[in-house]
Amino acid sequence: MNLRTLVKYWRTILIVAEMNIRQQLMDGFIVFTVLFQPIIIALLGLFMLKDKGADAAMFVVVGSGLTGLWSSLLFISGGSINFERWTGTLEPLVAVPTPFEVIVFGKNLGNVVQSLVSMVVGYFIAALAFGYKLEIQQPLLFAVSILLAIIAFISFGLVIAPVFVMNPNVRAWQNAMEFPVYILCGFLFPVLLLPAWTNPVSWLLPPYWAAVALHGTSTEGASLNQILFAWGMLLLFSVMDLFIASRLFKLMLYKARADATLGME
Amino acid sequence: MKTLTNNLRLFWQGALLSYVALFHWMRPIQYMASKILMPLAQMFFFVYLGTFATSADNRTFYIVGNALQIAAVSGIYGMTMSIGGDRDNGTLGYIFGTPANRLVVFMGRAFMNIMDGALGVVIAFTWGVVLMGLDLSNTSIPALALTILITTISTCGLGLLMGCLALITVNVMFVNNFVYFMLLIFSGANIPIAQLPAWIQAISYVLPLTRGIAAARLLVGGAGLLEVTPLLLGELAVGFVYFLVGYILFTVFEVVAKRRGTLDVF
Repeated sequence: MNLRTLVKYWRTILIVAEMNIRQQLMDGFIVFTVLFQPIIIALLGLFMLKDKGADAAMFVVVGSGLTGLWSSLLFISGGSINFERWTGTLEPLVAVPTPFEVIVFGKNLGNVVQSLVSMVVGYFIAALAFGYKLEIQQPLLFAVSILLAIIAFISFGLVIAPVFVMNPNVRAWQNAMEFPVYILCGFLFPVLLLPAWTNPVSWLLPPYWAAVALHGTSTEGASLNQILFAWGMLLLFSVMDLFIASRLFKLMLYKARADATLGME
Repeated sequence: MKTLTNNLRLFWQGALLSYVALFHWMRPIQYMASKILMPLAQMFFFVYLGTFATSADNRTFYIVGNALQIAAVSGIYGMTMSIGGDRDNGTLGYIFGTPANRLVVFMGRAFMNIMDGALGVVIAFTWGVVLMGLDLSNTSIPALALTILITTISTCGLGLLMGCLALITVNVMFVNNFVYFMLLIFSGANIPIAQLPAWIQAISYVLPLTRGIAAARLLVGGAGLLEVTPLLLGELAVGFVYFLVGYILFTVFEVVAKRRGTLDVF
C-alpha cells in the first residue's frame, strides 16, 4: 500500500471507519476495551499519583489513553479480518475492486479514533473529579503528535491483523501481549525505571515513540529535538509497517485463495 | 450412600470437564502463557507504576497486593466462563434437563478454578520473590498459604455470582472485565484503602480480596496467623455470601428460563 492508494480511496476509508465505529458501539467487549478500561486505568493512576501534581495527572491522562490505543489495536484491529470471517463478509470484501488493505486501514482508523475518546474522558475526570488544572504545554506540537501517532498505530495494526490471521497460535498470545507493551512503551511511567537491556526492545515499538511525542508535548518534558526525533521515528515506522503490511496482505490473500481457506479459521 | 457416591462423581466430573472445556481451544504453551506470562506482566506493570508513584520502599505493598489480585483471573474470568460457557455451547439445556443436584453442579464449577486460582497466586508470589526481591523470610508460609486459599475461594464466590449473570446477559465479557478492573482499585491491591474516598471504602469492604490482601500484607510484614484470623474469617464470610446469592440466582434463573422458554435465548 502507498500514499497514492490512500489518497485515491480516502472516501472509502472514511466510510469504513464510520461504519466500523457504529458497529462496534454495540459490542460490550469493544466498548470496554476502548473506553472503560483506559478510564479505569486513568482513575487508578490518578489515585496512585495523587500527590505528584498536575504534570503527573496529565501524564496519566495521556498514558491511559495510550493503553486504550494499544489494547484496541491488539484485540480489535488484530481481529478485524477474523471478525469479517466470522460474520461471513470476508469473501465479498476481498472480491470488491477496492484493495482489501484499504478496507482494513479504514477499520483501524475507526478503532484508533474511538480509542482517543478515552483520553478526552480521562482529561475531564482528572479536571473535574480530582480538581487538577490541566494544560497541554505545547498544543500545536501535541496535535501533530496525535496525528502521527494515529497513522503509526493504524500502520502497525495493518501488520498485526494478517499476522494473526495467518498464525492462529500467535493470536492466542494476545492476552499476554497487552501489559508488556504498556510497560515497555512507558505509557504510565518512564522507561528509565526499567532495566537498561529492555530499552532496545522499546525503541522497536511504534507505540513507544508515540508515548515519547505525546508525553513530551503535553507536559513539556521533552525538547524540540527530542520531539522531532520521535516524529521521525513514527513516520519511519509507519512507512515500514505499510510496506510490510502490503506484502503480508498479498501473501495472506494468495494463501487463502490457493488453499481455499478464505472463510475458514 | 448411593446418592452421596453419585453426587461425588457428579462433582468431580463436572469440575474436571468444565475446566478442560474452558481451555479446550488452547495448546499447553498458550495455556502457560495466559497463566504465567500475563499475570507476571500485569504484576510488573502495577509494581513499577506503584513504585514510580510512591517510592521503591513500597515495592512489597504492590507485589503482595497484585499477587493476590491474580486470584481474580480464575475467580472472575474462569468462573464466569465455566458457568456462562454452558449457555454459549448449548449445553445449558442438558444441565437443566438432568435430575442432577444443582448445588453439586454449581460447586463443581468452582472447584478447579479455586485450585487453579490459588496456583496462579503462588506463581505470582514466586515471581515476586525471584524477580522483584520480595522478602518472605519473616512470613509464616502455612498462614500465607491459608490466606491464598481463602482469598481464592471468596473471589470464586463473586465469580459464581458473575457466572449466573452471564446466563442472562449477552455482554458477559463487558461485565467480567469491568468487575476485574474495578477490583484493581477497590480491593486495595494498588491503593491503600484508607486513601480512597469513604464511599469507595464502603464498597471495598463488601468485596472479596480486600481483607485477604490486607491479611497477606500483615503476614509478609511478620504477623502471625492469630493476628490475621479476623480478616480471614471476614474474607471467608464475604465469599460465602456471594456464593449463596449466586446459588439462589442460579436456581431462580433456571425456573424463570424454563417457564419463559428462554434457556438459550440471547
